[in-house]
Order: sequence, then structure tokens, then C-alpha cells
Amino acid sequence: MHLTDHLTDVQLNEYLDNETAERAQIELHISSCDECAARLTTLQDLFSEIESLPELALSRNFAAPFTRTSSLPAQLPRWLTLTATLQAALALVAIMVAAPFIANLLPSIEAPSFTDFFVQIQSQWTAWLDILSQLQMPTLPEIPVVELSSLVITLTLAGVSMLWLVGNGLLLRNQIK
Amino acid sequence: MTALTDRDLIVRAMRGDHDAFGELVTRYQTGVFNVCYRILHERGEAEDLAQESFMRAYDRLNTFDLEREFGPWIRRVAANLCLNHLESQKVTTQFNEERDADETQRPEAVAEVRERSEQIRGALASLPAQYRVVVELRHYQELSYDEIAAELKIPLSDVKSHLFRARKILAEKLHAPD
Repeated sequence: MHLTDHLTDVQLNEYLDNETAERAQIELHISSCDECAARLTTLQDLFSEIESLPELALSRNFAAPFTRTSSLPAQLPRWLTLTATLQAALALVAIMVAAPFIANLLPSIEAPSFTDFFVQIQSQWTAWLDILSQLQMPTLPEIPVVELSSLVITLTLAGVSMLWLVGNGLLLRNQIK
Repeated sequence: MTALTDRDLIVRAMRGDHDAFGELVTRYQTGVFNVCYRILHERGEAEDLAQESFMRAYDRLNTFDLEREFGPWIRRVAANLCLNHLESQKVTTQFNEERDADETQRPEAVAEVRERSEQIRGALASLPAQYRVVVELRHYQELSYDEIAAELKIPLSDVKSHLFRARKILAEKLHAPD
């Protein structure tokens, strides 16, 4: 490139695009050539105008098809359903097993309504076993009638509920945000 | 959710978290829509193509390179989609300044800026589709000549000629005496 020649449009464009290896020569020429300096300024102004175009506002939300309400699967995965069912069964067994032990460990507090209710259920359970035994079924062991205080029952239910909630929280942690 | 990085959201989305991808869309939807609008110059089509860009991105998310930035990538997806759309349509869209005027700003305060913006949009709309896409990739997405050539699968010489001719047309239209 001769310093006396004017810069071409290509050179000016490439200079402003940072796509030339002749930067130093171009800058040297511009520093001494008012005409090329003016053309460069004009081109630079055009760049500024193009790039100053404001963005238009949206009239619809493109995220909607991906949001929770519209995109979650209709059913939970099978493994999750089975795990939750198993968890429920285990919690029920835990209640039945834990209640008598806790009743023996804690001082009983009179709570006629709860106790009566459980005694009634256990009596019915015994009666049902009697009926089954009459149908010549194998002999089943009798379940001892245990008197439960309301405190014991409340504590047991609270404990199992906590386990239930924590278990579900762990299982569903990826779905909860 | 807002404190998460794009990369965190992409990883979550790859694991099936729809909401994480929804958050990514929320972050980039204005930019992507404007890419489509600058190339297509028709709001309805631009919206459809912007939505399609996100759909395609979601389908291809498992192939996304986590070392890349999501914003530039999705904008390039949108630009390519618009170019393919224009090539398949082979129609010249006419810019309707009244219909598509920028509604985001108050005319009392920025009437002059708005008028100039409409002139620029009109000038961009008058460019051939190939020129428009090259201008979009160079000026709004800041790609180098080589990157544009690779993106559009055209020779480097075509990138330069499209870009320089586009600028010449824009200069003539924008600086023409009224």
C-alpha cells in the first residue's frame, strides 16, 4: 500500500471490522489524509447507526411451552410410583410395630377417646380372626390388646409423618424448586 | 432460579428440567426475537421463527457443547433458521413501518430516535436476504468474517462482498437527501 494512494472502501471496511493486517499503515495514512479520515468517520457513523437500533418488545412469551404446567409429564415415572407405594406400606407397618413399644416406654396419659377407639378396633380385629378361624383357616396368633395413650399415639403419628415428609422430599427433590 | 448461570440451567434442562429451559428462554427470547425480526421484518413470522429456534435448541440440547455460550449459539440458530426460511419462501417482504413500528418507546420523548429507527429498519428490510443475514451476523452478533463464512457455508470473498455492498446500500438509503 502506497501512503500517497487513497484507501479503498474494502480497506476501510476491513479496518473497522478488525479484519486487516495493515492496521498500522492504514492509521498512518489516515493521520495524514483528511479525505480518507472523513470517509472512515462516515463509515464509522453508519456502523453506529446500524448497531444503535433498539430492540422491539415481545408480544408473546416464548418460554410458555417449556413451563411446568404445560410440559410436565401427565404421570409420575413408574419407579417413583412404586417407591412411594412401598414407602407408604413401610410407614403403616412402622406405626403398627412402633406403637406398642413406645406405649411401654412412655408414661400413659388418660385419653379415653383415643384408647377406646383403638380398643374397639382391636376387638373387631380379634372378632374377625375368630370368624376366620371358624372357616378352618390356619390358626393365627392373637394380637395382644394394648392400651395406648393419646400422647403416645400423637408422638407416633408425628414421628411417622415427619419420616414420610422427609422421604417424599428426598424422592421429589428434583421436581421441587 | 435467577441466580443460576446459563450453564447450570442447561445442565438441568439436559436432565429433563423443563422449567430450567424455560428460564433460559426467558433470558434470551427478546434477543432471539429481534434477530428474527431484523432478518424477516414481519412480526408474526419473526415470532414463529423465534419460537421454532427455541424448540430446535431444546431438541438438540444434548449435543450442546457446555463450553460454549448459550446466547450467541441460540442467536445463530435463529439467524440460520430465518435464512433457510427466506430461501424456501423466495419472496421479498415489504417493510410496513406503520404496522411494525417500534412500540417500546414513547413518541413524545423519543420521536426523532423512533423515526430514525424506522428508517434503519426500512433500509435493512430493503436489502437482499443474503446481505441482511451477513449484516445481522457481523453487526448484531459480532462474528468475524471467517465465522460468518463457516456459519453460512459460503466463501470468505462472498461474506466480504455481501457485507460491503450491504453497507453501501444502507449508507445510500440512510444518508440520501429527503
